[in-house]
Amino acid sequence: MSDYYYVAPTSVGESLKILHQSDSKIRIAAGCTNIMPDLKNKKNTDSVFMDISGLEELRGIQSDDNIIRIGALTTMNQILHSEVIEQGATALHQACRHFADPLVRNRATVGGNLANASPAADSVVPLFVLNAFVTVESMENGKREIPLADFLVAPGKSVLGPDDLITAVSFSKDTGVKSCFIKFGLRKAMAISVISIGVALKLDDHTVTDIRIALGSVAPTPIRARQTESYLTGREISPEVIKRAMEMVKSEITPISDIRASKEYRTHLAGILLRRAVEGALIEGGDIV
Amino acid sequence: MNFEKDVAIKVNINGIEIRSTVAAAESLLEFLRKHSETVDVKCGCSQGDCGTCTVVFEGQTVKSCLVLAAQANTKEIWTLKGLEKDPLMQKLQESFVRHGAVQCGFCTPGMLVAARGFLENNPNPDRAGIRDALSGNLCRCTGYQKIVDAVWTVASEKASERV
Repeated sequence: MSDYYYVAPTSVGESLKILHQSDSKIRIAAGCTNIMPDLKNKKNTDSVFMDISGLEELRGIQSDDNIIRIGALTTMNQILHSEVIEQGATALHQACRHFADPLVRNRATVGGNLANASPAADSVVPLFVLNAFVTVESMENGKREIPLADFLVAPGKSVLGPDDLITAVSFSKDTGVKSCFIKFGLRKAMAISVISIGVALKLDDHTVTDIRIALGSVAPTPIRARQTESYLTGREISPEVIKRAMEMVKSEITPISDIRASKEYRTHLAGILLRRAVEGALIEGGDIV
Repeated sequence: MNFEKDVAIKVNINGIEIRSTVAAAESLLEFLRKHSETVDVKCGCSQGDCGTCTVVFEGQTVKSCLVLAAQANTKEIWTLKGLEKDPLMQKLQESFVRHGAVQCGFCTPGMLVAARGFLENNPNPDRAGIRDALSGNLCRCTGYQKIVDAVWTVASEKASERV
């Protein structure tokens, strides 16, 4: 067994100092729901575990007039049971309900799901359509608010540097926006998505005035379907328009074939799930799976 | 601040305080089985898939293989063994036996701890809710029907007691 080390700072300031001063490769440990399987499968390459799970200042959901701010250590279960999220960010609420299983949801944190930068990360797709910002802090660069679209780089890679700590993720309260998240997995629990989709839209009468579409597991990172978004903006939702959008979204993704599904199947699903997610958002809070 | 290879922890397991030293990368599951003799906590996959290592950690039902042992410092943990005298746990155990929900028995400790945690917070669940609550616990024998029946019966009895 390799040599591992453990350190448990008691404040964000102390954590940033450790990240800044240490020469060792540090892995930030919170819920550990990725770290423990990585250790078991010999995928962990870091030698120090910096346990931030005791930093209460990073836990919890704050909501003021304009912004909802979720601390990095907030668990999927806490988000799932938050009224603020259920009412103000339906898609995120739905994503947390389909995240892993209830026991894992008691440990897995939103900061960890972001840092892990999986193309299939369940919480990232809804945060994408909510136009979320990731708050990242380091001793050298202070506090930065990074748009989620700029945060993710490649599978398992984000813009996080070795000194950086995710402290929160936040998004604007946007009244009138209806959202929906759908995960297509091979099981109901503990599934890694074959494909997932989030839609947030605003209607004026029947006309779409604003729409954001994000998909997971169809590209190296979760992506926005910008062409489909601009096609739908300004149009009335009708069967013909939806049909056109379903074709369009298929051309915007670059899925691969892997153990869970073929490229062709994922492409097919992207269209179907777009239709379901738009319908789901229109029903508001409607959970279509 | 020092990086520690061996971490001294003080942890309360089933009401008994234990002081020990754990390796930095050791899981709580390994610690429970090897160093605190709580072998009622089973080891199935040790990567969060099967749920047979389920324990109550700081009041939350979690998979102990997904927790670093060092993170248990100053924390309170309850395993099946420690919950044996709990009235709700006893009802669940009896119901599991009555419904044939224990076959090979390997998943049972985790199932019971997960079911108890769920019923404690959701005294009046529907069957779908029970299935969802146990979705992190795998059983390869029963097909789940008997387990859901067992938990459902206890939930219904609890509901009728309140009337």
